[in-house]
Formats: sequence, structure tokens, C-alpha cells
Amino acid sequence: MSGARTLHRLRAASAGSGVLIALCGLLIALTLGMAQLEPLFRALFPSVSNPLYTRDSYLNLMLAHIGLVVVSSLISVGIGIAAGLFVTRPAGREFEPMVSSLAAVGQTFPPAAVLAIAVPLAGFGFAPTIIALSLYGLLPVIQNTITGLDTVPETTREAARGNGMSAWQILWRIELPLAMRVIVAGVRVSVIINIGTATIGSTVGAKSLGTPLIAGLVSNNLAYVIQGALLVGLLAIVADLAFERLERRFTFGG
Amino acid sequence: MIELQGLTKRYAGKTVVDDITLTFETGEFAVLIGPSGCGKSTTLKMINRLIPASGGRITLGGEDVAALPVEQLRRRIGYAIQSTGLFPHWSVARNVATVPQLLKWPRSRIDDRVDELLAMFHLDPTTFRDKLPHQLSGGQAQRVGVARALAADPEVLLMDEPFGAVDPITREVLQTEMRRVHQQTGKTIVFVTHDMDEALSLATRIALLNDGKLVQYERPVEMMVEPADDFVREFIGQADLGLKLLSRRWVHQYQRPPSVAPRDALPEPGSHWWMIDDAGRPTALAGARLDDEDAVTRVKAEWTATPEMSMKEALSRMVWYRVMVLPVVDESGQLIAEVGMQGVMGIERGPGANASSTRAAGNGALSDNDGGDPA
Repeated sequence: MSGARTLHRLRAASAGSGVLIALCGLLIALTLGMAQLEPLFRALFPSVSNPLYTRDSYLNLMLAHIGLVVVSSLISVGIGIAAGLFVTRPAGREFEPMVSSLAAVGQTFPPAAVLAIAVPLAGFGFAPTIIALSLYGLLPVIQNTITGLDTVPETTREAARGNGMSAWQILWRIELPLAMRVIVAGVRVSVIINIGTATIGSTVGAKSLGTPLIAGLVSNNLAYVIQGALLVGLLAIVADLAFERLERRFTFGG
Repeated sequence: MIELQGLTKRYAGKTVVDDITLTFETGEFAVLIGPSGCGKSTTLKMINRLIPASGGRITLGGEDVAALPVEQLRRRIGYAIQSTGLFPHWSVARNVATVPQLLKWPRSRIDDRVDELLAMFHLDPTTFRDKLPHQLSGGQAQRVGVARALAADPEVLLMDEPFGAVDPITREVLQTEMRRVHQQTGKTIVFVTHDMDEALSLATRIALLNDGKLVQYERPVEMMVEPADDFVREFIGQADLGLKLLSRRWVHQYQRPPSVAPRDALPEPGSHWWMIDDAGRPTALAGARLDDEDAVTRVKAEWTATPEMSMKEALSRMVWYRVMVLPVVDESGQLIAEVGMQGVMGIERGPGANASSTRAAGNGALSDNDGGDPA
């Protein structure tokens, strides 16, 4: 690649990352420095005696929240891509309708209901939340894996076979890289959903950014709700922008 | 050499390829042609086992293809398809290197081979190596597709309507290049098309299929002159048979030594002179105009001929530019011969116009001739 083209690419990339870096900085600053905003919240909510959530640090809550999302998304992605791959292979084709509808059903359950079912099975805290989030994030990953693999043109597949690639080589070298943009788009939806949904984990005792939110709702303390919601919203936007950049990496023109 | 013996393909009780037996000799440029649904593509794809045969057998250099490991078989057979099938996420170089990489050639040998093939198709390696397929024009992408098929120096090249999706002008350029590549490499090529003009311009032998059956397997001119039955006659088309015949005749077969002018002299009425510059390039033609016999016409590149041009194209240029005779030039633009209406009609007049003697000279010129790349 020529130097001029590399430079051009770098410039385009840095223009796009500007917003991402700024929002990332804001997210970190708010997470670490929420306490500094206490006077602001005191001024906004003069009737509230205790307008800053202090039972846990926002850094701890943020890390716990991210932990929930990362673990559940890894499970969704692992199971989702594996299932999507299975039903697009000749051996698994007949299972495609079943897997698709199972995943769709998984998403029609309200996550709160899944939590209610998971608690007797897995106890309180981290585990039932992970189960609910993983199930909830599965559908977009499965759907996009199937769609992504189906959009690989038949001529491309035929060319790969005609050039002597094995089924395994076609999957790894041709199909997955070409489907990756659509798969990443599915992961993006799944992760964004889970960043929001993870807050309800706090109702069954999983520590997350939902903890101040729930506490605020219970004690009618709007300041807590705003603090939690602000961080959750910002986290979702940052994740969304990051995934957008990742998707672009798998675009090959035309 | 590829032999098809009683090759048959049935889908759900319907026979789409019906007991085809034919032999593609080594070095043959064989074209499979027929109306859509005649089984030509199916036949081609049974050779590299993209479609399994229902009956009969195929041997490649004496080996039964069904007995070879399928991936190994396909790496021995080049395969090029319509709309290229290039891998959109791979650079041109990586696409071309597909089979050599599967065969685990060393890096440096792959790089050399990629550059060699790109150069063969007039794609400057430094410009094209790192481009992605969507950055190529249709003609360039198709060249890369053929280069990929040739990369591991396969014994056989299978081409499934490779030029079906490109515009007519690019298609003609690609056909010229394909003829040149066939001459340069001597590969056995099996080529599927539904376009009779394409078949006539490329094939050394045409296999005409209808309804899954082989109707006739014959050299192009022989097929035109002696069609096996009415279907063949109709498929070739009778209206422009003369022009089709000319499309199989080459300028080097009918060219004759040029009559070059003594400087500034005008030709006798009814004859003509070429005026040439110091480098031997034709500059003007005196006489031999369709409309004005005595006019002096400046030679333009558009109406010069080359030895490997078809007589059909030469005739077309004479008609379009209203001249009775075209200068035949070599790669440096030097006047080496002329070809005229008399050549087209096969009428030989006067001394020095002996077609058979110029044919031998022309063949020599053709073998190291470069098809050119106007794109």
C-alpha cells in the first residue's frame, strides 16, 4: 500500500475516533469523579438529604457492570456463532427453523421473567443474571451469523471449491471473513441490549450500575437514578461507537 | 488429455447430460456450446467434480477423476467462472495465489508467479498486486480470475462462461487475450459459452450439445461447412455464414507484400501506393478509396490491421473507413504487408500475392505477437 493511501486512511480513522475518544474520556471522568458532582446534585435536588450514592464506588459498580456484560456476551457470542455455523452446514440445515424460533422465543421472554425463573435454579446474584442476559443476547448473534453466512455469494463459494479448498478452508478463509461484518453487527446489538438489561440484575442481588438505579427507585431518590442511568447510557454509546468501528474493518467494498 | 466416456447426469429422474463420449486432446481449446439447459455447464463441472456424475467416467491424463482425492484433483485443474468469483476480501495478489498457497509453495515462488501472471495479462504488478477486487474494472477482474485459474500451472483450464458478464468491447479484448494465452501456454482449455461468435473466435474444436446429447464435435470451419444436421445449421445461423467464416480467417493468411510508393509519385489509375515515413510506418494511401479512386488518404491507427486480426474485423474496417485495402503493421507500427478486398474474396491477382507463401510468414509473426491491451 502506498504511503499516501496509508496516511489518508489514518486521517479518516482519527476523525472518526475523535468522538469515541472524547466520550470514552467523559465516561471514565464521570465514573471516577461522580463525587465531585455532589454540589451539583445537591443544588438540583434540594429536598433529597443524601443526593450522592455512596454505598459503593461508581468505579466498582462500573467494573461489575462491564463484567456482567462481557461474560454474558461471550456466552451469547460463543453459543450464537456455533449455532449459526451448525445450521448453515449441510448437516445442520434441517435444524435452522428450530434454532431460529428457539432464539426468537428466548427474546420474547421479558428478562425479568427469566430472572425470576433462574433464581430458584441458580440462586441470587451473578449467576442468574448471566443466564438471563446470555439468553437475551443470543437471538441477534444467531440471526446475524445465519444472515451473514447466507449473504456470501454462491459464485464465491463455487470458486473456492473449484480452486480446491476443503470445506474447513472455505469456512475459515472465505465464509467467516466475509460474514464477519454482519456477525459483528449482531454482536453489537446483543451487547447494547445487555448493557441496558444488566441493570435489572441488581433486583436479584448482582452488583451493577443498576444498583443505585434500583435503590433510587425504591427510596424515591431521583439523583441516584440519574447517576446510574447516565453511566449506563454513556457506556452503551461508547460500546456502540466502538462496534461501529469494528464493523467497518470488515467492509470490503462493492 | 481428458476423456469423457458415456458421461451421464440425472437429476430427480430427468437426464440433463445423456451418455456423452468425447476426447479433449492435449493443447485443444475446446468450446462446449448449446442452448440453455443443454447440459454444457453440468458437463464442465463434472470434470472437476463440482457436480458428481451419475454414470460414465472421466479420465484426466489416463487417471479416473473419481479415484483422485477431490481437493487434489481441483488443484490440478484451473477453474474460472462468470463474474470472476474473486474473493472480495483478498487482494489481487492473494486471489491469484489461491492454489499455490493451498499447495504450500514457498513465499518467493508464489510472489514471482503472481507477478508473472499479472504481467501476462497486462496488469502492472506494482499497481494491481494490492488492489481489492471491487477496485477493478470488469475486464480487469475477469483477467485476474483467469490468472488465478492458471496460477499453479494446471494441466487443464476449465472456464464456465467467463466472459458472460462483461460488455461486448471488453469481451472481444479478453477473447483476443485468451487466444494469445492459449498459444503461449499450450494449455488444454475447456470453455463453456452460449455465444456462437465467441466459440468460433476461440475454439480449435467445438462440441455442440442439445438436450444433454452431443450433436457434433468438430473444428469450427468444418462445422460451418459440414453441419451434422439441421439443428447445427440453425444454431450456427445461416444469415451471416460468410462473416462467420471470415471470423475464422486471419489477416496473416491473406496478406500480401505492400506496394510502396516512390516518393510523391501518384499511382496508376486503378492501383494504389503506400507512402511511408523514415521509420517504415505507413503515413498515407494513394488510391484505393471506395468513393474517390485518386484521393490520397492519411493512414489512421483505426484502420490499420495486424497479422493476427480476423478477416471479419479487417473487412469491417475496410467498409467503415471506405478503403479497399488496409496496411498490415507490426508492433512497432512498421508496414509489413497489406490486405485488401481481394484478400477477403479469396481472389488473388498479380504476382507476389500468393496466399500460401505469406501464410507461412504470417504464422511466424503470430507466434510471438502480442495481443495488445487497449483497456
